[in-house]
Amino acid sequence: MDALGYVWLGILAVFQGPEAFALLGVGVSVTLVMVCAGFLLGIVAGATPGLGGPIAMAISLPILISAFGFTPDALLPVMGFLIGIMKGATIGGAVPAILFNTPGTPDSYMTTLDGYPMAMKGQARRALRIAHLSSASGDTFSDIVLILCAPFLALMVEAYLDLPEKTALLILSLSFIAAVVGGSPGKGLISAGLGLLAVYVGTGEDFYPRLSMGTQTLNRGFPIAAAVLGVLILGTVFHQMAQGHADRLRPSGDAKTPDQDADRALSWPEVRALMPTILRSSVIGTVIGALPGIGSTLAATIGYTSAKARHDRHSPPDATAFGTGAPRGIAATEAANSSVSGANLIPVLSLGIPGNTAAVFLILAAESIGGFNPGPSVFRFTTDQVNPELVIAFGLFTCMFVANLMNWTVGGVFMRSMGFLARVPRHRLLPVVLVLTLTAIYVQETRMEAVWFTLGFGVLGFGMRLVGMSPLPFVIAFILGAKLEDSARQSFSATGGDPWFLFTSPVAAVFMALSVLVVVLGARRRP
Amino acid sequence: MSRTGTRALGLICASFAVLCITVWIPLDTDTGLIEKVRRRVEIGDALAPTVAAVFVLMGGLLLALAPGPTEAEDRAPWRGTLGFGVAMLAMIVAGFAVMLVAGPMALALADTVQGSAREYRLLRADTPWKYIGFVLGGVIAISGPICLAERAVTIRALLIGAGAVAGMIALFDLPFDDLLLPPNGDY
Amino acid sequence: MKDIFKTLLGAAAVALAATTTLAADWTPPGPIKLMIAFRAGGGADTQARLIAEELEKRHGWKIIPEQVTGKGGLNLAAVLKDAPADGTVIGMAVTETFGYNMAAADAGMKPGDFTGITTTAGFQMGVVSLSSKGWTTIGDAVAAAKGGEALRFGAMSPRLADLAYLLGKAQGVTFNIVEVRGGKAVMDGVNAGDLDLGFMAGIQSKGVAAGDLVNLASALSVPLNQTPDAPTFADLGVDFNSDGQFLFAGPAGMSAEAQAAMSAAIAEIISDPDTGAGALIAKAFGGPLIVSGAALQAQLAADFDASGALLAAASE
Repeated sequence: MDALGYVWLGILAVFQGPEAFALLGVGVSVTLVMVCAGFLLGIVAGATPGLGGPIAMAISLPILISAFGFTPDALLPVMGFLIGIMKGATIGGAVPAILFNTPGTPDSYMTTLDGYPMAMKGQARRALRIAHLSSASGDTFSDIVLILCAPFLALMVEAYLDLPEKTALLILSLSFIAAVVGGSPGKGLISAGLGLLAVYVGTGEDFYPRLSMGTQTLNRGFPIAAAVLGVLILGTVFHQMAQGHADRLRPSGDAKTPDQDADRALSWPEVRALMPTILRSSVIGTVIGALPGIGSTLAATIGYTSAKARHDRHSPPDATAFGTGAPRGIAATEAANSSVSGANLIPVLSLGIPGNTAAVFLILAAESIGGFNPGPSVFRFTTDQVNPELVIAFGLFTCMFVANLMNWTVGGVFMRSMGFLARVPRHRLLPVVLVLTLTAIYVQETRMEAVWFTLGFGVLGFGMRLVGMSPLPFVIAFILGAKLEDSARQSFSATGGDPWFLFTSPVAAVFMALSVLVVVLGARRRP
Repeated sequence: MSRTGTRALGLICASFAVLCITVWIPLDTDTGLIEKVRRRVEIGDALAPTVAAVFVLMGGLLLALAPGPTEAEDRAPWRGTLGFGVAMLAMIVAGFAVMLVAGPMALALADTVQGSAREYRLLRADTPWKYIGFVLGGVIAISGPICLAERAVTIRALLIGAGAVAGMIALFDLPFDDLLLPPNGDY
Repeated sequence: MKDIFKTLLGAAAVALAATTTLAADWTPPGPIKLMIAFRAGGGADTQARLIAEELEKRHGWKIIPEQVTGKGGLNLAAVLKDAPADGTVIGMAVTETFGYNMAAADAGMKPGDFTGITTTAGFQMGVVSLSSKGWTTIGDAVAAAKGGEALRFGAMSPRLADLAYLLGKAQGVTFNIVEVRGGKAVMDGVNAGDLDLGFMAGIQSKGVAAGDLVNLASALSVPLNQTPDAPTFADLGVDFNSDGQFLFAGPAGMSAEAQAAMSAAIAEIISDPDTGAGALIAKAFGGPLIVSGAALQAQLAADFDASGALLAAASE
């Protein structure tokens, strides 16, 4: 089996998997159906202020797992659905941003700056088309980079990194995330440290479940879903509910939009004028997405500001200025935030290190179902027997392209019809989301303790948001914690108990030096 | 956050970390930072949590010693937000607590009336018992926060709660034979 | 030792026959909670779920599987110990949980706190390396170690780590023993070159058949089915072995009818290669291995007692 053989098997796994139904005598695979359904649901979730991709993924995951079971056959449909949501939510988020000045997802905030002014000028439909074009282009670009890079990065890691270097790489990723994400390095370190501490409860090598205070409640540790969904989803829900209460602000979406121009496709010159902006932003988003921990919001901000700077320098003075309805402003933002989604799977698939929330949910799915461990061992191109994990990986790439195809074909139409969702009142929707999340966790864990844990982590996530601390380092540390400890123990044993195992090889030493450097540099810039 | 606020946060986190390193972790792990097994020194179970606590300690000290400038968006009405959060949490906890006990209580009541003696555990997958707790608790946990946000108990809020609970039953219970709705896995 | 088991096995067969009539009448008083001590999605978890499905189909029992993982099955045992003994709460783990792990943890649990229902299958536990290393038997690895190479030996449980240590001791070499999570992790480590050799409990069969991997030794009391020429641990001067099986168990005090009904029902399913569970066991674990009733209880007690000796030997 050569590399192309694996690519082909991955494509077949998507198209010839178990059938959902037959269309004109041709079987349609269940994976295909799930990717498309996920994509449409993602648009809906993205277009509903307060929902967004992560919440939609959190709620769907347990239902999907119950439906598909714990077999390797479940991996592609379930993860395909999540990938669909991830991609759909990015374009969906632009809808309320443009129509009602309310970003559907945080990363579409920058879209409001030029999108809403365009809508006020009667060009809402054109703005939506520009957003869709940019988003779909950025997304496709990023996926291509992912598919080209991930296997090679994984192969390099397997070929050149031994156990101690892998440990050092994990430490580097964690300190990078702590130093760079949100708030300040101080807050990032606290967030990551708490995540590690939480995952170490009840685990460990010894038969006594450490830090369990001798109780049966804690001896199984905190379920990963309780910690991740608690801090991410419940924390957001609490925060949004409380803020909505505190502001008791304008009911979203009441603004009157003026009469709109007729809908027409973008002309070729229009597309050509936007293309340089889209490409530049795609590159920015892809590079940022490939670094763990930096999300699409930052990519959108950088994409927008760099396009604005360029525009201010090079455009004639009579061109529409950024912030007053410039098409390029929308293009720059949407291309940048969408091109994060593919690239941020590079560290997940090649190193097993999740970089953002979407990746966290893919890892959660893989962990829950079993049979697929994202990391360098996935990309072993074995020749005499089939490596099933590699087939899954290429299956996932195929799913991404199916979702992209959906995006280019029906995505735009579907997205433009979702404007009404901005009127769904948050304070009625969010409590339903909250109980649905808790129920979904209970169904998986089947004990009330898991619900109490989730609520506890929700309070923690709420508190973190109140003090301006990003919960992402917590979540990523929670996911990487066990791997970090195992790999440190293994390196230590494998080197025959060398206490300096992290510093004896040059590569590991460089990784360790870099870990210290990112924290120090971050702290100097903004403590 | 203000500088004082950030400093306080840093100090709280740092003290918590010190407490972990000096009290909780040493007392609640069995193998120490390193241990000797099979004539070899190995990493013990206390090392990883200690490293985690050191992370928190470093972060806390960083905040306490160099809190940085007051952040601009410090207009957040902290108190109102916090108070509402606590009230909402209480409502949800109450809902799930009711969920936990409502089914067995209903069964005990039915038993007293009918003079039978049944165990809830054995009926946890049977209609109607399996729904009683989930429906009652679920409606409280959904409608409660809605009413709280609207500052009024409305029929509409109750209807949303009931509808959502019915939807969840349709989602989790009807299609899957071996899934248990809360709280039935606990029995 | 073996003779004792044979006698007990005979006794169990008689006991089984006697209770079969009773067993046929037994039905669980409510839904059965089946706790599984393994990560979702692995071979062991799949085995448990397939058996549960088939039990539901054949007997109309309602079975609700759930994961209770961690601490080598001891987390499951801790919950199972205090569960109602009417046959509505059972667990699936490995014999090692009730033997070595309980003895080593010393957390106040012993096999007598449980009712063994039945074992389902054994492990084809071998010491495996990449064939590209050029080793054909464990002697070659030992020679390499004696030549000064520091060898990394992967093990997926403390008991196996002890066995690896004793193997090195018997052969006069020191391995760098690396404990990893699960047999799949040993295989990944060996494939990636992070480990030089390690224990694999059956997942090596495809690789060995393809010629990528080689069984250097059998960690069992008997030779491996796939590589019968590989020496056993006894041949290599180690007094202990990794014999072990998957088993279903309930809390102590389960009625004989319930125990017999369940073990008969499970045995019937796993012995039938047309069922999903039977096919899986035939493929991955070399066919069913059924010990139940008094024989199983005696085996668990004996394993527990013998573990003390292994623990002592490994900490000498």
